Amino acid sequence: MFTELLVCLLIGGLICFLVQRSRKQVLKTEDGWWGPGAPPDGGEDVTIYPFKVSTNDKELEDLYTRIDQTRPVPSLEDSQFNYGFNSQYLQKVVSYWRHDFDWRGQVDKLNQYSHFKTNIEGVNIHYLHVKPKKVPVGSAAIPLIMVHGWPGSFYEFYGLIPLLTEPTEPHDLVFEVVCPSIPGYGFSEAPHKKGFDSVCAAHIFHKLMQRLGFQQFYAHGGDWGWLVTTNMAQLQPKTVRGLHVNFAPPSKPGLPMALSIMLGNRFPKLFGFTDMDVQRLYPCMDKLVVESIKESGYMHIQATKPDTVGRGLNDSPVGLAAYILEKFSTWTSRDFRNLEDGGLTRKFSLDDLLTNVMIYWTSGCIVSSMRFYKENFGKGLNAPHSKMTVFVPTGFACFPNELMHTPKLWVKQKYRNLVTFTPMARGGHFAAMEEPQLMAEDIQKFIKLVEKKKQQ
Amino acid sequence: MERLQVLKGTFCSLDAFQKQLLIGSAVAAGGILAYMVQKRRQVKSIPLGEGWWGAGEKPLSEDDQIYPFKVQTSDEEIEDLHERIDRTRYADPLEDSCFQYGFNSTHLKKVVSYWRHTFDWKKQVEVLNKYPHFKTKIEGLDVHFIHVRPPHRDNQKVLPLMLVHGWPGSFYEFYRILPLLTENQDGVVFEVICPSIPGYAFSEASHKQGFNSLAAARIFLTLMERLGFSQFYLQGGDWGSLITTNMSQMKPQCVKGLHLNMCTSNKGFKVMLSLIVGPYLPFLVGLSREDVRRLFPFFEKNVWEILKESGYLHIQATKPDTAGCGANDSPVGLAAYILEKFSTWTDIRNRDLEDGGLERKFSLDDLLTNVMIYWTTGSIVSSMRFYKENFKGNPDNRVNAKTGIFVPTGLAAFPNELLHCPKSWAQIRYRNIQSYNYMPRGGHFAAFEEPQLLANDFVQFVKKVEKF
Repeated sequence: MFTELLVCLLIGGLICFLVQRSRKQVLKTEDGWWGPGAPPDGGEDVTIYPFKVSTNDKELEDLYTRIDQTRPVPSLEDSQFNYGFNSQYLQKVVSYWRHDFDWRGQVDKLNQYSHFKTNIEGVNIHYLHVKPKKVPVGSAAIPLIMVHGWPGSFYEFYGLIPLLTEPTEPHDLVFEVVCPSIPGYGFSEAPHKKGFDSVCAAHIFHKLMQRLGFQQFYAHGGDWGWLVTTNMAQLQPKTVRGLHVNFAPPSKPGLPMALSIMLGNRFPKLFGFTDMDVQRLYPCMDKLVVESIKESGYMHIQATKPDTVGRGLNDSPVGLAAYILEKFSTWTSRDFRNLEDGGLTRKFSLDDLLTNVMIYWTSGCIVSSMRFYKENFGKGLNAPHSKMTVFVPTGFACFPNELMHTPKLWVKQKYRNLVTFTPMARGGHFAAMEEPQLMAEDIQKFIKLVEKKKQQ
Repeated sequence: MERLQVLKGTFCSLDAFQKQLLIGSAVAAGGILAYMVQKRRQVKSIPLGEGWWGAGEKPLSEDDQIYPFKVQTSDEEIEDLHERIDRTRYADPLEDSCFQYGFNSTHLKKVVSYWRHTFDWKKQVEVLNKYPHFKTKIEGLDVHFIHVRPPHRDNQKVLPLMLVHGWPGSFYEFYRILPLLTENQDGVVFEVICPSIPGYAFSEASHKQGFNSLAAARIFLTLMERLGFSQFYLQGGDWGSLITTNMSQMKPQCVKGLHLNMCTSNKGFKVMLSLIVGPYLPFLVGLSREDVRRLFPFFEKNVWEILKESGYLHIQATKPDTAGCGANDSPVGLAAYILEKFSTWTDIRNRDLEDGGLERKFSLDDLLTNVMIYWTTGSIVSSMRFYKENFKGNPDNRVNAKTGIFVPTGLAAFPNELLHCPKSWAQIRYRNIQSYNYMPRGGHFAAFEEPQLLANDFVQFVKKVEKF
């Protein structure tokens, strides 16, 4: 009897100790320097410069010449999108791009919001800053930073931004939105030194928000944006008022997750698994392992040889388009692999898709965008931040066709203060671009709840 | 003696029924044992199968003539190449990154400058044409090959030999070893056939899905038959190693000997055991000192390194059409992709060099000629598809993975090969290893890099088989 009690006390004490330890953990990082050569002697230039996306005839002519010089290779008979982007359909997309796509018009569209650049830690950071036109009397606009992923860009949020800065519902919150480009993506300068990972990006974005005068703000992200905003919440939990993500692959498999995989389809209620969870996770060998292997070739090569794989894509606009648009097909729904046209235009317009591709093309950033994979995965999956939990209020929007399905139990392993977990009606990986209305609704719902809780 | 008496006594004391049972089961056991021994000794082969890979429907009859072929180029082709090179949009490499992020951009500019201003493709085409080329239609595809007849045939044994290349190589990899095999005069000389795998170089690519190493093996067997060879030797590395192995499994009676400079073993209990026990008691699990030196520490040397170097394999085995698209428009992109392998697979330490050690073992002319073969034929995408076709489903469950290889086999183990395969592991499937040698230097592209060493090992293997 006595020994049992002692053992229980010991185990209890151990658990308390571990919980305390994890509660106290805050992610630490230092200032970095990512510019060329050594940092200059004088201080940093903290000026914010307005920026306008521009184009010219030369750029377009060069694009067209290269498109005209493409050497297409026919796809195998009946292979649809199973071997990658189907060559026959690619010709159709490219034909639209060459003859109908209006890049100048799209540049005007890009410039409808105010762009800026400012130098932080040696690299020029590009961002949009969208202030709401009307704010209801007696309240202030809520600052929100939205971070994109790969192969996306700030442009993914163009459908979502007006729903947040100019909501139609009278009781909706009004937001002031900042959309930066991760260094190495789009119009943000690429780092010149090795080692620029998601924590470095998070640190830079904190500095950006500080430079813009925000003491506290909300953060939203998907794909890499999920990791960067999560790191922001881990670095400065007091500054990030709430974190909203639509993608949250488990970074550290623990006992609850392992048990739930093994027993989840027999005892779903035990782990809080809904029907959708069971359907998306099982058979787990096929859905978790085989599917991941089939779709992660790009990640493997980008995490090991980014300079090699990106090389040809920076010269061949068609190659770049095939590489990027394949993801917009397959990551929106896996079933699209069996369609001749990859289902590409079912959820997106060619104009929007090609504008995103043009951002990668005109800025020549494909290689630096790929290096982010190597910097984050190159040394394995044991980064300190992956073992730390997040205590900032979190909202998770669970889209049915997301690449990796995370049931509530798994999300809670890392996000200890999960305020909302919403199974969404439809949508895949590029949720903000595909279903901006649904996303806006969930962000509103989440933040309203957090604000209410904070007022109590 | 006494024991025998005791046994005899026990036996006699049994009654008639028990005696019959005992004798019966002894005979049955003996029969099963004899059958098992017999089965093991029987040379198993894998079925030939059949296929047709041309466009559309298969016609009623096929043209099986052999047509001579000449590699050609034109001013337009060279001008187009130069224009594209001039339009390359480089990105700066990260400071101090050497070849760790892939092909270093700064060094790439130097290689490309040579390519643009000094490399003479017309001259290289003449080099390619110094051996006679041919094409013939098999299973709906035009199969390209070179056929090199030895000039000095008197008082020599002339043996037919097929050399099969891999990725990202080509028949051109063998141009340095060909004279060593066809022009020697010490008794044994070879008549060599060097085909291009369909989808590579001048061989037509398959139009249908499913073209894997078994299909390539069958096509090459048909080729040898069409050329009139009933028995021949085979040599290969990379994909060539798998294809020649499959050929030996399909028609062992035709293959006099199989020589490989790369082989993979099945994972299995024996391999696992030797991994666990190997570092401590190597001789117990059939590992030599040299094996231990090349294999361990296993995790660092093999698992991590393989993960770091197999990104290309992963993307090519899943999305070849996407991966190859850009490389088919951008010659510099193609060169970076291919030459990175010639750097890293020759010596993995080349990743830490500013220039990737590229020209330590190869001349830029040779390297760029190989790249030009991929460029001018536009075959990078189809060459990548071969990975997907071979990795569909579980490779361990394919028919050839479970069948052994019984033809006389010779293995040359090069020290910088990607994955070392000790003799004891190779013996799991290659049941008739006549020669296994550790080579003093050389990496993955052995025939290209160390032709003399490979030729020497191959000739000594053949002499053993021929009982010279």
